[in-house]
Parts: sequence; C-alpha cells; structure tokens
Amino acid sequence: MFGRLLWKMLRGNRGRLAVALLSIASGAAVISALLNLQFDIERKLTQEFRTLGANIVIAPQSGAQTVDLANAGGAAASVPVLMNESAVEAGLEANRTPDVVASAPFLFIVARAKDEPVVTAGTWLDQARKLNPTWKIEGNWITSREDETQCLVGRNVAQRFQTGPGGALTLSYLGRSAQFHVAGVIDSGAAEDSQIFVNLPVAWKLAGTPGGIGLWQLSVSGTGKSIGEYAARLASALPGYDVRPIRQVTEAEGNLLNRTRLLIASMVVLILVLTALCVLATMAALAMERRVDVGLMKALGGSISRIVGLFLAEVSVLGAAGGLIGCVAGILLAQWMGQRVFGTAITPRWDIFPLTIAIMVGVALTGALPLRLLGKVKPAVILRGE
Amino acid sequence: MAPLVQIENLRKEFGNVRALDGVTFSVEAGEWIAIMGPSGSGKTTLINILGGLDTPTSGQAIVDGTDVARLDEAGLTRFRSEKIGFVFQQFHLVPYLTALENVMLAQYFHSTTDETEARAALERVGLADRITHLPSQLSGGEQQRVAVARALINHPKLLLADEPTGNLDEANEEIVLRLLRELHDEGHTILMVTHAPSIGQLADRRIDLAHGRLAQITETAGGTRSRVR
Amino acid sequence: MFARLVGESFVRNPRRKILTAAALVVGMAVTTATLTVALEVGDRMAREFRSLGANLLVTPQSDTLPLEIGGVDYRPVDEGAYLNEADLGKLKTIFWRHNILGFTPFLDVPAYLGMGKAESETDVTLIGTWYEHEVPVPDGTIFKTGVSVTHPWWKVRGQWFHDGANECVVGAQLAARYPGGVSVGQTLYVARDEISSYVQPLVVTGIVSTGDADDDAVLVPLSVAQDISNHRGQFRQLFVSALTKPEDTLASRDPKSLTPAEYDRWFCSPYISSIAFQIKQVLPGTEVRAIRKVADSEGRILSRVSTLLWTVTIAALVAAGLAVGATAAATVLERRKEIGIMKAIGATNTIVGGIFLVEQLLLAIAGGAIGFVFGAALARVLGESVFGTPAPPRILLLPVVLGLAAMVALVGSLIPLRRAAHIDPAPILRGE
Repeated sequence: MFGRLLWKMLRGNRGRLAVALLSIASGAAVISALLNLQFDIERKLTQEFRTLGANIVIAPQSGAQTVDLANAGGAAASVPVLMNESAVEAGLEANRTPDVVASAPFLFIVARAKDEPVVTAGTWLDQARKLNPTWKIEGNWITSREDETQCLVGRNVAQRFQTGPGGALTLSYLGRSAQFHVAGVIDSGAAEDSQIFVNLPVAWKLAGTPGGIGLWQLSVSGTGKSIGEYAARLASALPGYDVRPIRQVTEAEGNLLNRTRLLIASMVVLILVLTALCVLATMAALAMERRVDVGLMKALGGSISRIVGLFLAEVSVLGAAGGLIGCVAGILLAQWMGQRVFGTAITPRWDIFPLTIAIMVGVALTGALPLRLLGKVKPAVILRGE
Repeated sequence: MAPLVQIENLRKEFGNVRALDGVTFSVEAGEWIAIMGPSGSGKTTLINILGGLDTPTSGQAIVDGTDVARLDEAGLTRFRSEKIGFVFQQFHLVPYLTALENVMLAQYFHSTTDETEARAALERVGLADRITHLPSQLSGGEQQRVAVARALINHPKLLLADEPTGNLDEANEEIVLRLLRELHDEGHTILMVTHAPSIGQLADRRIDLAHGRLAQITETAGGTRSRVR
Repeated sequence: MFARLVGESFVRNPRRKILTAAALVVGMAVTTATLTVALEVGDRMAREFRSLGANLLVTPQSDTLPLEIGGVDYRPVDEGAYLNEADLGKLKTIFWRHNILGFTPFLDVPAYLGMGKAESETDVTLIGTWYEHEVPVPDGTIFKTGVSVTHPWWKVRGQWFHDGANECVVGAQLAARYPGGVSVGQTLYVARDEISSYVQPLVVTGIVSTGDADDDAVLVPLSVAQDISNHRGQFRQLFVSALTKPEDTLASRDPKSLTPAEYDRWFCSPYISSIAFQIKQVLPGTEVRAIRKVADSEGRILSRVSTLLWTVTIAALVAAGLAVGATAAATVLERRKEIGIMKAIGATNTIVGGIFLVEQLLLAIAGGAIGFVFGAALARVLGESVFGTPAPPRILLLPVVLGLAAMVALVGSLIPLRRAAHIDPAPILRGE
C-alpha cells in the first residue's frame, strides 16, 4: 500500500510536482555541468599554457660557456663545454610521460653566411613547431629530424640575406661548409628572428662536435607543482647536469592557473548555494500544500511517522528524479560549455551523477522539513481549511 | 451497561473564546444522536473532541471506556483509527486516490489493507460499479458514501458525522440519510451534527447547544423506534 | 481600486511572498556577483599576465643580425645600429601611454673581467640595463621603470645596483664558475678588452638568477655599459611591457586596409598591434614587434579564460532564472484558493492576473534591489580573495539586474496564472 500510495501521490500531483522538478533539475544541471567542467578545466588550461613554449631546460652543470664565440668577432674562443646528447636523451626517455608536449636538444654555433656572423641552432626540427606554438611561419615546417638539406630562418635573417622560402643558403664554420634550402621563414618577435635552424646531425658535421649539445628544452604540461616535481625527477636521473624549470614561464603559469581555479570554484559555490536555496523554497511551498492531506490522514488515525515517511519518500523521489534529469542535462550543458571555451569535447564523468543526486535529495529533504512541524498540529485545525 | 459515550463538564477554549462551556451528557450504544444549535454554539468542537481530532481544555470525555482528554498524541492516533469513523461535510477524500483506495487508506492506517473487505464496504453503500473512480468522477452523494464506507471499514465503535449532507443536493441527501438510517438499524452508534431540524428529527435524541452550553435534550420521533440492544 | 486591491493582496499572508522574495534576493545576488566579476576579469587577468614580462620588442630598423644566444647579444660594439636613450620618454606620450607599464633598454657589451689578478681574468659580457631608472617625460613628469617591470622573474640575492652607479650584479652561473667565486661587496674590474687601459671598478651589490643564459653575464647600469663601449646615450634593444586587449577580428586585419571609422576603433583599442604602431610613430627608425611567445599566448589564454568565465556566468544566470521562476510559479500555484475566491466574487481573469503580476513585479524590484546590494558585497569579497583587490560595484548593473528579476518573476508566474485563469472557483471554495 505504501508504494501504491506513493505512486498515486506522485502521479496525482503532476502539475505542481513538475514545477518542483524543474527547480531541482535546473539546479542539478548547472551544478553537474560545472563539476564536470571543473575537473577538465585544469587539464585543458594547463594545455593552453603550452603556447608559452619550453618550461624546463637542461644545461651543463655550473653554467659553463656552451658556445664557441670565435666567429662572433673579437672575443677569443673559449672551449665550449657540451653535454652528451645520447646520455641526456636516454635519461629523458626513461622518464617519459604523456605530459611532455615537446622536447628537443640544441647546439648553438656562430656560423657565417655570406661572410656575416649568424647564430645557428642545431636541433630536432620536427619538434620546433610543438616547442614554439606561437611562431608564425611563411613557407613550410620541416617534419623530419634527419633532413640535412633544409633549414628554417628567422625573418631578420631572411631580410638581411635577401632570401625566403625556396632560397639557397650556405653556412660555413671553421673551414667546413654546408648548403641548405630555406624551407620556411619564422616570425617569433624575439631572438629567434635572427637565427637559423638546422637539424642536429648536419649541425654536428658543421661544428665538428658530434654528439655534443649545449641545451635541452622541454615543454611539459601540468601545474607549477607537478612541473617542479618532474624537473626534480629528471635532475636525479641526470646527475652532472643542471635541470631547472624556466621561471618566467612556470611562475606566470602557476599564478594564472591559481586565479582561474579560484574564480571557477567560487562560481560553483555560489551556484550551489543559490540552487539549494531555491529548491528549499520550492519544497517548503510543496510541503505547505500537503497540509490538508496530512490533516486527513491524521484524522483517519495515521501515525505521524507513517504520514511523514510517505511525504519524505515523495520528496526523495522528486529529488532523485530531478537530480537524474539534471545530471543528464548537465552533461549536455558541459559539452556545450566545453565546445565554446576549449573547442573540444569534455569527457563526461559518471561519478558526478551520484554526487549531484545525493546533493539534490539532501537539499529537497531539508526543504521538506516544515512537514515535521505539521506533525504537531491538530487535524481539526488543518481540516478546517485555511 | 455503561454508556458508550460519557461527557462530563467538557470545556474548550480558543484563546478568549469559550467554544464549550461545561457540557455534560451521555450516549448509549446504538443511539442516533443529533447535535444541533446555531453557528458558534460549539457543535463541531464537541464532535471534534469526541473524535480525537481536538483536545479539550478541561473535563472528561469517555468513549468506550477511554478518556479522550487524557490521551497523548500516539494514543489519540490509535483511538482515531480503532474507535472512530468520521464523515466530514466536505467529504475530504484524497483527490488522487480511487474510491477503493480511499477506503483502503483507512485500513492502511489501522493495520493492514484488505482489498476484498474494502470492495465489500463499497458494495454495502451501493457503489460496487464505482470502485475505480476518482472523487472528481463521482457526484457529491457518491463521494459522501465513499466517505461513509471509509468511516466504517475499521468497525468503529462510534460514527461521527459533521453536517454530512451539508454539501449535497436533495436527491443525494436522501440517499445518504437513508444509508445512515440503515446503519442505525444495524446497530451502529451515530453522533451527527446538523442545523436542519428535519434531519435532526431522524435521530433518536436531539441535543441542542447554545453558546457552548447544553440547552436541551429532546427525545424525537425517531426515538420511538425500537432499539436493538 | 486596483491599487487598493493590489495593496491589500500584497500585505496579506506574507509567508508565501517571503519565499519568492528570498529566491529573488539570492538569485539576483548571485547574478550581480557573477556579472560584476565577469566584467572585471578581463582587466584583472590582463594585469596578471604582465608577470610574464615584456610583450613588445623595439630594435633599430636597419641593423646587422644580432648574435643573441640565451638572452645575450655577442656582437662587437662597432657592429650594428643603435637607438637613442633620450627618445625613450616619448613612449609615455602615445595615446595608450597609461597602458605602457614599463620599458627597459639593453646594451650588451663584450668585455674583459678581472679582479686585479691575472689568473682570474676572463672574457665576459656586460649587460647594461636599468633596474629602477627615472625617465624624464616630455610633459615634465618622471616615469620610473626598468627590469623590475619588464623582467619581474629576475631574482637577486643581495641588492640591485643603483642607477648610474659603478655597481654591478653578477649572474649566478658566472659567480659559481668564476675562480674563487664572487661575493657581494667585492670589486670587479672591467675593461673593454684585454689591452684597454680604461678599467672600470664595479662593486658587486648582488647575485642575480634569471633562469636563462643571462646568468652567465654581469649586469651593469646602462650608463656603465655605454661608457665602456663608448656609445654614450645609446642602446641596442628595448623591451616594453604593455597592458593589451586580446586581438579579435578587427585587430588581425592590416591597418592600412581599414576604413577611417574602423581605423579609429583599432587605434583607440589597446591591441598589441595598435600599441606597437603608436610606439613606432614616436620612435622613428625602429622596428617594433610583438614578442609572440608572450603576446600571442596572453591573447589566447585570456580569451579562453574570459570565455570560460562568461560561460559559467551565463550558466549561473540560467540557473538563477530557472530557480527563481520555479519558485515564483510554486507560490502562485499555492495561492490557487485566493484566485478562486477572487474569481468567485466576480473578478475577471485580467484583474486577477493583473493583481498577481503587479505583486510579483513589486517583489521582483524589492528582491532584486536587495539582491543587488548583497551581490555587490559578494563581488567585492570575490574580487578580494581571487585577485587581491576588491571588484568595485557597477551601478549600471542595477537596472540590468532589476530587469532580469522582473522578467524572470513575471514569466515564472505567468505560466501558472494562465492555468489558474481556467480554474473553476467552485471546487476551490468547497475546500478541495
């Protein structure tokens, strides 16, 4: 009979309950959407920050001079101290994680082109784009790190040597020389505009220092803390080398992430409070409506516990149903929000369902508390009909 | 044999208003009593107290050996489900339950539901073909008859009716009053509040209240009929 | 008479109205708070981004190729072009002068370092720059700027050099590998080269860690670098930190292709491109470029965060709207009996509807106004806790909030009212 009563109560008051359901469902939808988003925001935002490029560098210990400045003109050459490329590579491979967005070694030399000194960087050109997402290019990227015939040049270089994509360039260094075709001209707005980029193997041939590199750059996504931890891990895997986060980048990242996180969290709390209060109000109104039914049932000799139990069951069903509908709508809402903000889909998290539903049921039951007060009122008063 | 109902110096005050001001009388089992008086005389208050829907300020109200005035909340609940059957002027059927379910509701609050018995009760009041109807699909008279079936389902000692035909038209009033007469003939004890002398005449005795006090008790024409002991 | 009816209806049974009013207050408080913060966020975050440092680079137009590795330019001083330090005050005269938060010139000089002993002599690069330098602005004011603004992540152990003094700050890596080490208080002797007779003593005031190759150099006041290189009043490149607005479709177009009206809009918006353009106007013979790593990232991330905030704000508004609407509907439903009674005594649907709607409107305005006050306070707290400075209340939001409240309350009430219009008063009066 309890089940039958409950069912009839829900069905019979469809209209009024629909309003309460709407209130609960809308609150649940927004809350579950935001909770869904909350988990993803951090990850997506830290990925966004990778446009800042490299945030961890590996350099020889004690910051020794890694560049032979002979060609710079004037300064006497000091023997550059280089790192062993394969050693570093091995260390990095052993500690590879999916958070590493890009990774490349660098060897800088001051070569000569058309008898003028120009900074030339030997690196893995296939990583160049990922390591520098903000570079603009005229022409093409170089996709293979074995390519020994092509190079990328900065726009200042292109201007200075009157060349562009498809143009030819000869670089010489200490008697050795190599010829290249310009694949693309890059625009970074900074120092790279005045540099030439070639693949590491041909840089070694030119420099005569095979296997040696002066720097390794990594672009790793994550929070300030996780990046610091990763750097520490690499440091212990590469003793003898200096591994450190690039402060300019990591500090700013950390700062911004914190602020955004706080902002979203505050919004979530605000909305939660708002929803809770409105559900409360709706439930209280509903409870008031039930007065006559309560009075009648008491008159028929129903015990308070049974009567109140019936109505609390009604409210719980309402809360659960509204919560469920809201969660489903919330997933859709989260998808929309994710598309608008990040342009990608958000992975729906199913563990939000029980959480949101529980919250809604809790709030609904709290709102139905006025019913308990009804337990005290004499049936005659209620049945008189106010 | 002790009277079924014994009221002794019953008082009920609502703030400054004295709804009942020391009423004393008794009712034998099987009697049909009409409680009458102008509005404000305390009729409904009296019947509410007897039905355990309200508690008196002072005095005694003994129904089937139980002093209603001394019962606590739980006791009153039990009392209402076991001893009393109430019929209201506004019917007070649950709008989203069928006639059958409305009767079963009273069973539910008493002990357990018994669909067969509920069906039989509705048959008794002549609504066998209306069991699955909602109150909105029943006429006033039919609704009141469901209310009567509901009131009787738990075999109460006392049937209380507050202006049972107040919201009914003549035809339906006829039907309900006839039903009450049948119940009386079967031996039920009925306390009925009414303002219409013509209805009051149907009872065995008539108790008039005025300003919360007993004005007079009259033996009526219906009282001449033999009573089943 | 109508006003009287409304008045009496309004005063009766305050309990039910309190529920709607409460929902309105909370809903509008949340709305106000989120809108206020969302409007502020763009500016606040843009300021936060300035911790990334300079986003513009100014270089001489016709120049040889800088030989820059790890932030140090290894060119000999006789090669390449220079810019004039005296022109720099003009940067604070452009249209967007208040968005120029700081600028720092750099002059890298290859030099020779010794501490008075032959063993410790070595090649070194001097980076001449400003720490906190007072720039005279043509309008007569002084603008204080330097690496403290454009390179805020440079940390010094000890102190920075005083402007124009014979002091220096040594890079941490250099200090570490220098034979015998370098400590604060020591005097270094720098000369242009090994054979130069002009030797400048510099007192080490601090050890700097920049996190880049500059750590292997010696930072000196610009004037010192200028003296040693014999390029007084000159520098090689200028880093500028400007508060900008993320680029949108207007900004990405070539300024020359804009109509006069569009051009004005572009010029009067702090896009990085228009600020760069304005700098170039006051510093002729220069190339002004956005440092993509900083500027583009900033633009993209700011847009993302801004969109995110606004999406969340809209979600909050929708939630508020639905919740308030539902509450309004619920309380109107609850008052079916009142409606029935009014209709029974002859009120037409219009009048009944009118009374209720006016009531809800009054509630909306009252609730909305109170909600606005709470929301403004809430926004202050939010701004304070997230950005460190409170978000000022925006009075312009008040009519918006009141309008929203009214709309939501009215729409919410309208639906049950329309259903109520068809209610037969009799069953209600009978008490069902």
